[in-house]
Amino acid sequence: MKIKPFATAAFLALGLAACGGGEPVPVEPTPVVETTAEPMPEITPAATADIGAAPADIPAFMKVRHDNYEDIGKSMKVLQDNMKLDAPDIAAVTAAATKIRDYAGQMGTWFPAGTGPESGIETEAKANIWTDRATFNAAVTKLQEESTKLAAVTDAAGFKAQFPVTGGACKNCHDTFREEKDN
Amino acid sequence: MESDQSQETPAPAPETPAQKVWDVPTRLVHWALAIGIGVSWWSVENKAMDIHVWSGLTLLALLVFRIYWGFAGPETARFSHFIKGPAAVFGYLPKLFSKDYRAAFGHNPLGALSVVALLLAIIVQVGLGLFASDTDGIFAGPLNRHVDYDTAKDVTDFHEDFFNVLLALILLHLAAIAFYLVVKRINLIGPMLTGKRRGENLTGPARGIEPLPLWRLAIGVALAAGVVWLVAR
Repeated sequence: MKIKPFATAAFLALGLAACGGGEPVPVEPTPVVETTAEPMPEITPAATADIGAAPADIPAFMKVRHDNYEDIGKSMKVLQDNMKLDAPDIAAVTAAATKIRDYAGQMGTWFPAGTGPESGIETEAKANIWTDRATFNAAVTKLQEESTKLAAVTDAAGFKAQFPVTGGACKNCHDTFREEKDN
Repeated sequence: MESDQSQETPAPAPETPAQKVWDVPTRLVHWALAIGIGVSWWSVENKAMDIHVWSGLTLLALLVFRIYWGFAGPETARFSHFIKGPAAVFGYLPKLFSKDYRAAFGHNPLGALSVVALLLAIIVQVGLGLFASDTDGIFAGPLNRHVDYDTAKDVTDFHEDFFNVLLALILLHLAAIAFYLVVKRINLIGPMLTGKRRGENLTGPARGIEPLPLWRLAIGVALAAGVVWLVAR
């Protein structure tokens, strides 16, 4: 039986969180959410353009990155659950989408040097994250844009239209940069 | 050459009566299950999760119908006809290797075990899939929202692992069919395609199963559609 490693690896792979070379910081869910369009999260070009220096504690860094992706997964489930409802809970949707948007805002810094497969730590992050950073960054930017739109939806129709697009932005990156490991 | 051939052509064999073994719904469900499992496997391997969800729901409909048909269908489709006790199963083995072995009318006692195991395995697999979700949470089974994140993850892992059990049973099923074909010279595939078995030494009623009124079929179809609608809505 290969139960846990799969999901663990899935998130490890993607969870290479880094904050400007420091430890990745779990995003606090934004408690109060504007119902109108949120401003774009701040994405400092410097933070995403460069790969960034290796963190001091690589295993701890990768663990936090993994946990962050796990947290995104939980938010995705909230959204997914609401997709199946005729009357989705827009407050819950907005909270979950805001969380994803905030994580996406810092995702560009989650993959500094030394936190890929060469670390020897179980991860689903593929080496091309480090060799094709321009494409990777474009994929992250795509998620930032789509999750920002998702966090700004105000009604069921808007949510049901934007959720698949946001999911597509996740998939877009995963298809190229994640090696899904067998569980 | 032509004249030689015509001379060598044996007289047409006396018409052997065809025995109707499998009805149309049972055959359709059988092949649709095979295709549905194939599509489910292919779609998930190729990350076509929308197709995977739909093939899973189709399999659910087929299962509901087949279970109903196991009570309401013709003789050979009924569970009460082919599920036998241990005595019949063990008693079957010596018969299988005896010289005057005859093809069973429907499932033989041992093959019935395989049928039940396959059906149960597909039920488990489809049932797990209803609650499962992909890693990203982009696609989820229709009942996924009724379980929490961690449970869904465990269910999904089990759904993935359990496919190997189903695969093993399918391989056993195919191996058994090959055994009957090669060793016993009994073609089980033909009757599952045409519904009929020809030849001497048949067991069971000479004409085989009798036709059933269409309303019985209609109830099964409605039942299958209803269950899928309830689950997927």
